[in-house]
Amino acid sequence: MNSSTAQATLPKSSQPTRGRGVTARILRRAWSYTEMRVAASVFLALALLTMLGPFIIDASATKMNVTDKFLPPLFMEGGKLPHFLGTDQLGRDLLLRSLIGLRNAFAIGVVSVIGMFVIGCAIGIYAGYRGGWVDVILMRLTDVQMSIPVVILAITILGMSRPSPASVIAVLILASWPVYARVSRGVTLSERQKEYVRAAKILGASDLRIMVRHIAPNILPPIAFVAVLDIARMMIFEAIFGFIGIGIQPPTPTFGTIISSGTQYLLNAWWITIVPGVLLALALSSLNLMGGVLERARNQILQGGA
Amino acid sequence: MAFAIEFFLRRIGQGLVIVLLVAFVIFTLLRIVPGDPIRIILGPMTPASVLEETARNLGLRDPILVQFGRFVTQVASGDLGRSFIRGVQGGSTGGSQDSAGFDPESRASVAELIGTALPYSLQLAALGIVFTLLVSVPLGLAAGLRSGRWPDRLGLYVSSFLVSLPNIWVGVVLIFLLSAKTGLLPAIGYKGFAYTIIPAMVLAIELSPVLIRAISVSVAANLGETYFDVGLVRGLSRRAMIARHVLRNAAVPLFNLFGAQMIGMLLGGLFVVEYIFSYPGLGMLTINAVFQRDFPIIQAVAILASGVLVAINMLVDFASTTIDRRLKF
Repeated sequence: MNSSTAQATLPKSSQPTRGRGVTARILRRAWSYTEMRVAASVFLALALLTMLGPFIIDASATKMNVTDKFLPPLFMEGGKLPHFLGTDQLGRDLLLRSLIGLRNAFAIGVVSVIGMFVIGCAIGIYAGYRGGWVDVILMRLTDVQMSIPVVILAITILGMSRPSPASVIAVLILASWPVYARVSRGVTLSERQKEYVRAAKILGASDLRIMVRHIAPNILPPIAFVAVLDIARMMIFEAIFGFIGIGIQPPTPTFGTIISSGTQYLLNAWWITIVPGVLLALALSSLNLMGGVLERARNQILQGGA
Repeated sequence: MAFAIEFFLRRIGQGLVIVLLVAFVIFTLLRIVPGDPIRIILGPMTPASVLEETARNLGLRDPILVQFGRFVTQVASGDLGRSFIRGVQGGSTGGSQDSAGFDPESRASVAELIGTALPYSLQLAALGIVFTLLVSVPLGLAAGLRSGRWPDRLGLYVSSFLVSLPNIWVGVVLIFLLSAKTGLLPAIGYKGFAYTIIPAMVLAIELSPVLIRAISVSVAANLGETYFDVGLVRGLSRRAMIARHVLRNAAVPLFNLFGAQMIGMLLGGLFVVEYIFSYPGLGMLTINAVFQRDFPIIQAVAILASGVLVAINMLVDFASTTIDRRLKF
């Protein structure tokens, strides 16, 4: 479908509600918020640090060093280069460990959100488009899935087997796809009635083609903006799993394991727990602020209100 | 009245099916994921023949559907079974003293274990909700009533910030600041009501951002509706319109949010928070049960949790149809 000519010639009522230009307009509106630019800068800075850190900092994230254990961060008395944020109980550099933890958490967040977005929306569009008993069964399935608290599901699956990054991602996707299925189904229900869908059908397009080429491109971008918020949520879940001991296993550093190992030394070496958490909270704040602004911008463009 | 009866009959039926399916999912997962409870019950030194025999006696070698059928009949008759690991006296037994054989009668009943843990969890949840409301209602209302102005932005900042604080980290930071460093409040374990305060604060920090956002969006949307302006034109004061009409209408989506999202988050939060603080509630019981492959406890808690979610969703739907009769089911 060539959307620009279609929009120019068809009467307004038969146009798809959300043309391609909407995505650009939402992004432009979001960028006009100062908050968006600040958050994006912070995020970019952290991303650069994560990529360059391991080359610049002359220390190891996994090698133990008994003489340098429990070093406080540089801003405290007793801090020592190259350990900007100090070292943990085994003399490992905390900044490096946090950066690697951040990278892993972000990777897990992005991959799992892409997974739940694709699977959830595919099921949602299919259910909404087909309707009937297919719809009923798929939606009851989301009811069941949503009635199992994420943490129970996660500890049941991950607590039993030896967790790998892949199984952590699988659990996150399993726990969160229903939300995307519900939302995309709802939008598909109203989109199915639109003239452009009927037009495509009359022209002989197959159901699969209508769903993939016509409905999906129209309804998915607005949902994708909100998915940014879920990346941050998934990163928090990853940290929780690590803390309970059902996340990615040592020696790979994750925030959960860093924080839980530090709790034993809270009185004498509080920085082991607290400083990496600040870094994580900073990363998550920037993601959440970007997500929040994108959501606002989306609502303003789509509904013309706040 | 007829409306209410029809509503509940229909929804209770649907709810039972959902709980049954959830139970089946958890039941199956427990049995297909690696990890044999028998090894933990009997200890590592047990000969393989004894392991097999005990497993067969407990019915763990039957087909999953047969096991599930037996489990459902048992639960339907009001018996949640006995723990694999925990002794009647409390505390975990297991290990070598059982290597001669396994006697289910020496184990604590799941219903009793849950009965002991539940009040602690409820107390924590209630205090957590109170703290959440204290933070989010004023902030959310201010943000909603001054949409687009500074309270609105403040609401966005506060909720974006709070939602970025992982509960495990907040928990440890609060332990450090309020307990380890200053000794203001006790933190680990449970020896009195004061032990609930810090965990409840962590819960509130987790739940508040969602509620702040929801309140502000809902109130702002209602202020934009025609009925608000009409009321003003007819001479009602802004204050009266907000107090009598806007708040009532804004409450409907909030009720829905409370059911669908907040209770789920609260349950998940309880598990994690109890684990951080070694707080002796349901979450602690379940996490320990998972690590010990104590199937009966995990199954019972999963049923209970999904039952609570389903029931709350039902009540919420009923409440919102009563507040707003347009939303017939």
